[in-house]
Amino acid sequence: MDFGLNEEQDMLKTMARDFLAKECPKAHVRKMMDDAVGYSPELWKKMAELGWQGLVFPEEYGGSAMNFRDLAILSEEMGRALVAAPFFSTVMLFGLPILHYASDAIKKEFLPKIAKGEMIGTLALLEADGDFWAEGVRAKALKRGNSYLLSGTKMFVTDAKAADYFLVAARTRVSPNPEENITLFLVNAKEWGVYVSSLKTMDMVRKQYEVQFSNVNVPATHIVGELHGGWQIIQDIALQANAMLCAEMIGGCDWVLETTVNYAKERFAFGVPIGSFQGLKHRMADMYMELEHARPLMIRAVEYVRENRSDAELAVSMAKAYCADVYESLTNNGVQLHGGIGFTWDHDMHLYFKRARWSANTFGNPVYHRDIVAQKLEQQLL
Amino acid sequence: MTDDKTAKLEALRKEVRAWLLANLPKGWGTPEYKAPGGFTQERHDLAKWWTKKCYDAGYTGFGYPKEYGGIERPREEIMVIREEMLRTGTPGYPSSLGLLLAAPTLMAHGQEWQKKRFIPKILSGEESWCEGFSEPNAGSDLANVQTYGVRDGKEWVIKGQKCWTSMWKFADYGILVVKTDLKAPRHRNLTVFIFDVKIKGFERRPLRQMTDESEFGEMFFDDMRIPQENMMGEEGRGWYVAMTTLAAERSMGGEQAVGGQQAEVRLGSGADNLIELARSRKRFGKSLWEDPVYRQRIAQAAIEEDAYRIWGPAFRAKARKAGASLAATLSFEASTSKNYWAETRQRRAMLIEDILGAYSQLMRGSRHAIDEGDWVFEVLRSRGASIEMGTTEVNRNIIAERILGLPREDAVKKA
Repeated sequence: MDFGLNEEQDMLKTMARDFLAKECPKAHVRKMMDDAVGYSPELWKKMAELGWQGLVFPEEYGGSAMNFRDLAILSEEMGRALVAAPFFSTVMLFGLPILHYASDAIKKEFLPKIAKGEMIGTLALLEADGDFWAEGVRAKALKRGNSYLLSGTKMFVTDAKAADYFLVAARTRVSPNPEENITLFLVNAKEWGVYVSSLKTMDMVRKQYEVQFSNVNVPATHIVGELHGGWQIIQDIALQANAMLCAEMIGGCDWVLETTVNYAKERFAFGVPIGSFQGLKHRMADMYMELEHARPLMIRAVEYVRENRSDAELAVSMAKAYCADVYESLTNNGVQLHGGIGFTWDHDMHLYFKRARWSANTFGNPVYHRDIVAQKLEQQLL
Repeated sequence: MTDDKTAKLEALRKEVRAWLLANLPKGWGTPEYKAPGGFTQERHDLAKWWTKKCYDAGYTGFGYPKEYGGIERPREEIMVIREEMLRTGTPGYPSSLGLLLAAPTLMAHGQEWQKKRFIPKILSGEESWCEGFSEPNAGSDLANVQTYGVRDGKEWVIKGQKCWTSMWKFADYGILVVKTDLKAPRHRNLTVFIFDVKIKGFERRPLRQMTDESEFGEMFFDDMRIPQENMMGEEGRGWYVAMTTLAAERSMGGEQAVGGQQAEVRLGSGADNLIELARSRKRFGKSLWEDPVYRQRIAQAAIEEDAYRIWGPAFRAKARKAGASLAATLSFEASTSKNYWAETRQRRAMLIEDILGAYSQLMRGSRHAIDEGDWVFEVLRSRGASIEMGTTEVNRNIIAERILGLPREDAVKKA
């Protein structure tokens, strides 16, 4: 496994950073925070022109056929820029599951549109209890001829207002094992019976919604994967999404540390730069230490997923638990070290602070993932 | 790689394997074999014997030119040899300080005769070294050394005391930092000498630590006479010589991390023994491994161990890319890994205390101690990890100032 980047990957990173600095500065991010939908179609189109949405899709679907590590490099830069666009939802929660599990007909229909920036999608999974587990899925889909009638209320759905389609988890039969009766459906957002309402969440850049489905008609051809076989797919989505979230989080941490260190060099108190005080210096040294030890865990997780290794789940849970803790810790320190200005709405630090909380609580928080780590370690020792 | 080259490396691998089998102590690696432990003469003699054997066979002594006794081999061959040694485990090197600290310092600052005389015997393990740096009043503030040397003809007369000396008991030679100028400003008043432990006026004693072991010692110099030719670097330039040694010491942290990843290691395996310990301990009738609080903490320990272990290869990838221009900055990064390891180890020690409960009080030597008291020893020993080789606080200053570029407190005050 190589922890470093090759020449092409270096170029991708530099290009992404330059592009986002120019096209998605904080002024734009803040504009989108106040926007009901949360993204600008122009930026989305430009990203598609660079081939980002279809980065890992095969060429036959209009993609660039690059790999998972490349996608992580891009995600790291997006996490750093706090990009205001439904990229994570569309690629990680919608595009990749279609690529890996949908029928050829659906792939041919959906993937080129996603790659061209003409389709936005997201996953509607969590419900009232807010927890990532099979029992949490209560929505039901009943078969009526060649269609299903889907009903239920989904919570914490990212970018729902921007979405053209939802990938919805619903129960399709009665079974004592909650993991054996979930099916994934592609639901058109414009279909009768789909109601999207905003949630007032702390992270206003990556917006979340409550989505109600009431007797929504879904053709049976819009099932992704096997009937009743949705939970395995959801676990795979979570695995890949968590690895990618780690990349985003590392990018965010990078911004937090850099911004804090720069501030400490420029801000004067008692006649000297505050960065000369050991009390502050040591906190920043610890921030650096934490980040430098989180990054390799993230790279390992991404590479193991890319290689489809059997221990990828363990690598991802280790990385997710650690990166999420580190991102929270860095943003706590970021606010503290900025003093009063760090506690204001005007300073950008709170945007990262809030993103850290969203990241930590999506697809299992650190406590959840440490429990997975313990289970996996136990299995290894059997 | 060409087939020819691959075949050659495979042949070397077989050769090393056969050699190890034939030369390792009888029964090595079997449960019956008990290697002498701790800081005993037996342990030291075994390592000395082993290193000489390896050196004569051309399996150690890399990284130095032939004229100074170095064994020159292509990098791929060295990798193969190290991998094979890592696979079986070996009695190791007698005094790592000679190899890791004295040799690089000699290479950078030693006179030609010193390099020719001392480096070969360091590489072969025949002579061990210690480092006379810290003093009762010069720890983190190393520039404050009080051991004083005055010139007397072709000799220097040294008076003073050093402490926290690793390998104090077995060293044949030492590097000594001495104040040789009472008037010159800080950092320009020090000189470094090589000293022979057999000189009159030298005395060493064990320093009893909170572990009840004497891993470190104290050294006393009572008008000890060192010949002028043993000076390393120039008079008054000792601070810079010492800095070379300390940089080498810091990078040991990085080296340790690198060492662990030669072979593919199973994820989280660093916590295997913690899981076994927690499984074996019952409290209120329930195994601690079944308790979610302990499971969480052990999982965290596994994650932190992995983070520490893979920091090494990640660091090397970064260093390769940075090239020579950033090499100086990168040498400071070892402080990052060193601090991380010290803190991880201490958190782990606190977890061990909690798992052992009342038994965490039983020291080595108690017949009731769990696993012969090794866990409890670690509980105590780990507290030294954040003090030795640069305290965590000094390392934080290094990270903040040398890597993050934050201003120095004293420089700001002066301005």
